[in-house]
Amino acid sequence: MTALVEIQAPATTPTYVARGALHSLIRRPMGAIGLTMLLVAVAVAILAPVIAPYDPYKNIQVTVFDLYAAPSPAHLLGTDHRGHDVLSSLIYGTRVSLIVGFSAASIALLIGGVVGIVAGYRGGWIGASLMRFTDFFLVIPDLALQIVIIAIAGPSLLNIILVIGALGWTTTARLVRSQTLSVRERKFVMRARAIGAGDLHILRRHVLPQVLPLMLANMVLVISLAILEESTLAFIGLGDPTLISWGQMLNFAFGRSAMSAGAWWALIPPGLAIVWVVLGTTLLGTALEEVLNPRLKRHHLERERVGPRRLLPGARLRDATAPPAGTRDPLPVSIPREGSSVPLLSVRDLVVEFDSPTGPLRAVDGVSFDLRRGETIGLVGESGSGKTTTVLAMLRLLPPGGRVVGGQVLFDGEDLLALPPAELRAVRWSRLSIVFQGAMNALNPVRTVGDQVAEAIRTHQPGMGRRATAARAAELLERVGISGRRARDYPHTYSGGMRQRAMIALALACDPDVIIADEPTTALDVMIQAQILELLARLSNELGMATIMVTHDLGVVGQRCDRVVVMYGGIVAEEAEAYRLYAHPQHPYTQALLASFPDLSHPDRKLVGIAGVPPRLDNMPPGCPFAPRCPHVFDRCLAERPPAFPLSHERRASCFLVEPGHERPTATPDVARPVAEGADA
Amino acid sequence: MPDRTTPVLEVHGLRKRFPGQRSLMDVIRRRPPRDVTAVDGVSFDVLPGEVLALVGESGCGKTTTGNLLLGLLPATEGQVILGGQHVGGLSHRELLRLRRNVQMIFQDPYESLNPRMPVREIVAEPLRVHGVARTAAEAEARVREALEQAGLKPAEAYLHRLPFELSGGQRQRVVIAAALALRPSLLVADEPVSMLDVSIRADILNLLRSLADEHGISVLMITHDLSTVAAYADRIAVMYLGRIVEIGDARTVLRDPQHPYTRALRSVVPVPDPNARRRPVILAGETPDPSRIPSGCRFHPRCPVAFEACPQVDPRLYDLGGGHGAACLLLDPDYRPAKPISESGAVAPEPA
Repeated sequence: MTALVEIQAPATTPTYVARGALHSLIRRPMGAIGLTMLLVAVAVAILAPVIAPYDPYKNIQVTVFDLYAAPSPAHLLGTDHRGHDVLSSLIYGTRVSLIVGFSAASIALLIGGVVGIVAGYRGGWIGASLMRFTDFFLVIPDLALQIVIIAIAGPSLLNIILVIGALGWTTTARLVRSQTLSVRERKFVMRARAIGAGDLHILRRHVLPQVLPLMLANMVLVISLAILEESTLAFIGLGDPTLISWGQMLNFAFGRSAMSAGAWWALIPPGLAIVWVVLGTTLLGTALEEVLNPRLKRHHLERERVGPRRLLPGARLRDATAPPAGTRDPLPVSIPREGSSVPLLSVRDLVVEFDSPTGPLRAVDGVSFDLRRGETIGLVGESGSGKTTTVLAMLRLLPPGGRVVGGQVLFDGEDLLALPPAELRAVRWSRLSIVFQGAMNALNPVRTVGDQVAEAIRTHQPGMGRRATAARAAELLERVGISGRRARDYPHTYSGGMRQRAMIALALACDPDVIIADEPTTALDVMIQAQILELLARLSNELGMATIMVTHDLGVVGQRCDRVVVMYGGIVAEEAEAYRLYAHPQHPYTQALLASFPDLSHPDRKLVGIAGVPPRLDNMPPGCPFAPRCPHVFDRCLAERPPAFPLSHERRASCFLVEPGHERPTATPDVARPVAEGADA
Repeated sequence: MPDRTTPVLEVHGLRKRFPGQRSLMDVIRRRPPRDVTAVDGVSFDVLPGEVLALVGESGCGKTTTGNLLLGLLPATEGQVILGGQHVGGLSHRELLRLRRNVQMIFQDPYESLNPRMPVREIVAEPLRVHGVARTAAEAEARVREALEQAGLKPAEAYLHRLPFELSGGQRQRVVIAAALALRPSLLVADEPVSMLDVSIRADILNLLRSLADEHGISVLMITHDLSTVAAYADRIAVMYLGRIVEIGDARTVLRDPQHPYTRALRSVVPVPDPNARRRPVILAGETPDPSRIPSGCRFHPRCPVAFEACPQVDPRLYDLGGGHGAACLLLDPDYRPAKPISESGAVAPEPA
């Protein structure tokens, strides 16, 4: 069994990552083109003495006919005002442009980097005054100041480099500062500090590695700016007179009437050369920024991202009326319940897929359950179990890239998945409403809470007068324990618990028959959680609402739900009445989950975790999704997906162990855990 | 066997005040800044090999307390004694030496690892910071030892991996390994499992428990989850608005809580047992703003059994024997409610 959960990932080294960045840079057309253009320029600069047909710095004897001579085999790009070969000047000019570009950019980067890191890392008045200083430099017109300084200090190459560098650091400083600020606040920096690390260590080991790639990308852009500025200065006659640069060439060409002489060859080639280098660096810089800019806010839900987020272009929310996948065995329709009326809501064999570059990924694979009037059921599962996807699919609210490929959602006898959008909208919210996960952050911050509740009422009951709507909104808020006075307040003045109450009031706006609460109390304190759960229970009693509670918390479910649907890897592992489920769990996953969950009333029970991790959508086991972590796994589980076997007492479980006629293995206790503790790979 | 009677950590009267923010209007109206007292006179100790849980709702000051112990924040007042040595008044060098003994485990294993560092470097970082391992071989050996101690076996399989290649549980084990590399005597674990999948949590908590039992490493567990405390902690300290309101043996406190806040908190914890008989005491409202701590007993505005004296007298921690203490005036024979507390307000003892 151990082999199933062996570590699969190969050893990875940091160089692998660096190589990966270069690779993805070249794979981008922008990056490949830009890099090639820049490399050509660098090669020309280095090889200038070899490839240039003449030495433009050598004094030569010329006649009048040699000035502005048209292109000829001897002078491919003609000659300039001195009778020198334009091509050779152009080639040698590359050197000056690149030297100025790289040196000035290095200076700018050094100043900008230091200012940005100090301002971002130290913060406080030092950071503030550094940034004001930066702002000051930012608003000075660079060119005007450069002209003044060069005019005073003299147009030597060194002065030009210094002036361009000393004025070009502001954007870098701002960029580096914001990056440093965000890195400084990250948890791993905090952890390093908790270890006892000093500022120098943190800067060197944690901040710089995150900031440098960004600076590299920025440097390429600064180079192109510097080259452009050097050309500008040279063009207006402030270039180093002893050197040949592109700007210088243009300056002389204009100054010595190349235009009137019709000598386009003295003007266009240096202009194109400038365009070439600037375009190359800009392309490269933009591509580098895309590749290297670390997606700093990498979310902790990476595992889930595999499904919903990596989307194919053009894949949009489709009205999910596609025919069910043909070859699937129809799942046994939910267990008939003796004496109960027709269920209010019935999910039948729901199948949901998400697009991914490697083909569709199945997030929900044949989920069925019923909800009766006034009943509260719990949809329980860990992250990636498909519980949230199931409820989103029921309301046809799947994110782009996700679609229902099979099944029915019968609400009062009508299939929600087949309704025309207009009718669906009428049902959604007014009869079937949802309180989303993290909903307390879903209130509009610039409108009062009362307004937002009133809006929900108006949308579905347009005939209602203004005053009546306001009164109804206040009544709803009272009902969830928010005094009418607070209705005129903005959401930011509410605490987390109150915002969640407001969201429940919103959900109640149209007297729904069913309320779906997706992790309604996650991230709330236990006392607030108790308040919210009690509120939901009271409301469903008073208003006769049925509730679907989606959660990972077995405690909440045990306390509040009549029936529990346990989900794992996109299927229903087990469904039973709550008290039966907790007393006698049938599916090994339910058993293991309960064994791992702390229970305040049984503090002496030793808790046991489940080895391994929940399966990823892109790596779903072919058989039972729980097989790789199951202590009772046998051959059949690996090959075949167990259907839901109906059991007594309106229960069912998707496990071959409960299949009628299956002989229970006798020696189950020894196979308690398939792997050593650590290998939750 | 380590000495189990000398505390590894003693905290006396720890206090932390954050200066209040004044808006421009406040300055114009000459309103004084309202300071926020996040930790208001907290005292406790941690014995070797003991798991002490600091429990409370958000805003009670438990995380600030942890940060104060690690020196991530300077304390306003109070003493922290680590391994018999006063932390205040030490030179930077001595402080760094002492700090090796206390390491922290953070809540979010997805955020607390540098995404560009392989596991080997993450675990070796504390050694480097403290200049502990003299040779590369020694460092390598200690990294491997720490990884295996944290349950990442064999260590070679993990040394070169980057955080994104690990599952949440494995990442938290790497964080624990990095904390263990310096062979500390105390781990401060701030909500160590709240970001992990339910099925992974027990393993991480079992690991912390076994570090305490087998290696004598004390754990100060900061958490909001009483169920976890009941299963894993030796002692519990319940905090409310910057104060410890009840402290004692975890089983005793949870079986027979003496402070009304502990009782209420205990009664609302959801229990995964639909048959459990419960009488939840749901407190109205929310924890008050720590910049406006109520007079007298800070819990009295929400207390179901508050009486006349409560708004006036700030109760001390009354010793109930066996290391159990609670800060409630009902435990003081000098204060008696004038009339017996109404049946509806009284907190009925929890059926076992």
